[in-house]
Amino acid sequence: MLALLGLLIGAVIAIVVHPTVSQEMSRYVALAVVAAIDSSLGGVRAYLEHTFNDRIFVLAFLSNSAVAIALVWVGDQLNADLTTAIVVVLGVRIFQNVAAIRRRVFGG
Amino acid sequence: MRRPSIALATVLAVLGFLLVTAVSTARASKRVEAPRKTQLIKVIQDRRSSVDDLDQAVKELQRQVATAQRRANRRSRDEAAAASRVAQLSLAAGTTAVEGRGVVVRLADSSRQPPNGADTGAYRIHDSDLQLVINALFAAGAEAVAVNGSRIVATTPIRSAGDTIVVNFRPVTPPYSVLAIGANAEQFGTSEIAGRFHRWVSLFGLGFSVHQSSKVSVPAFTGGVAITTAEPAPLPAPAGGAG
Repeated sequence: MLALLGLLIGAVIAIVVHPTVSQEMSRYVALAVVAAIDSSLGGVRAYLEHTFNDRIFVLAFLSNSAVAIALVWVGDQLNADLTTAIVVVLGVRIFQNVAAIRRRVFGG
Repeated sequence: MRRPSIALATVLAVLGFLLVTAVSTARASKRVEAPRKTQLIKVIQDRRSSVDDLDQAVKELQRQVATAQRRANRRSRDEAAAASRVAQLSLAAGTTAVEGRGVVVRLADSSRQPPNGADTGAYRIHDSDLQLVINALFAAGAEAVAVNGSRIVATTPIRSAGDTIVVNFRPVTPPYSVLAIGANAEQFGTSEIAGRFHRWVSLFGLGFSVHQSSKVSVPAFTGGVAITTAEPAPLPAPAGGAG
């Protein structure tokens, strides 16, 4: 419950503050969001598998976002579009996590 | 269910914050881009139509240029024809200095002292003598003739004023040098007039000589003639400086 409340509070803060993100930075933010969604789903999966750990989840969340942003930055420096690679990898993981959650919930 | 920690809530708050931020940013950029796109399309269309207009204008101007060019060509052709006609006419009228192969005839009064009772006139060159020589030179093919630098033209009088010969209303002094371009020295030398002068040379000691020259320069007639305003354009080939 507290977790969902936290999510809601963050969203409300963003709506109230309404931060402006520059055109270049928006790509990093989007990638960080994708990484964060992946981590969250991973967290939900771990919770359902009874292996959830607060510390691991927070670390995974932060490190995933940081790595995604760092990779995009490196790609920009090398003039190689690593964004697609990250999106693909994270997308696959999101699907895997969703599938695992589904199996847990519905016993597929 | 384990105790959900504050850390988890915080992390999820960050997630919510990022999510909303990313979505609103993406929407905003889309909002910014859409009008710019339509603006750019409009600019492109405007430019295209103005390019079409300019193309049209270029074609029109090219047509005008071609027309003007044709007109200018026609005019310059007319001008060139007029100029060459003026040059021909001035050549014929004698208002152009000319040079070419010709004959130089020198006439001089006798150096002998006429004997008492003799006709002193026979020992001098008269205006009629010059007239005879010049006529004979013309008969021998002369095209341009000058006496002591005075050009003989259609209206040139050769007269005498007392003892002085006047050509083109200007006195000329002996010895007389008659330049005749185009005259044949042989034809003139064997003419009846030349024979007459040769006799007078031996009889009275008059000066008379005939030379063929490959280059004789005859000056232009400088007096007023009917054509007073038109000046011949300098021709590259036979004309010397107008003088």
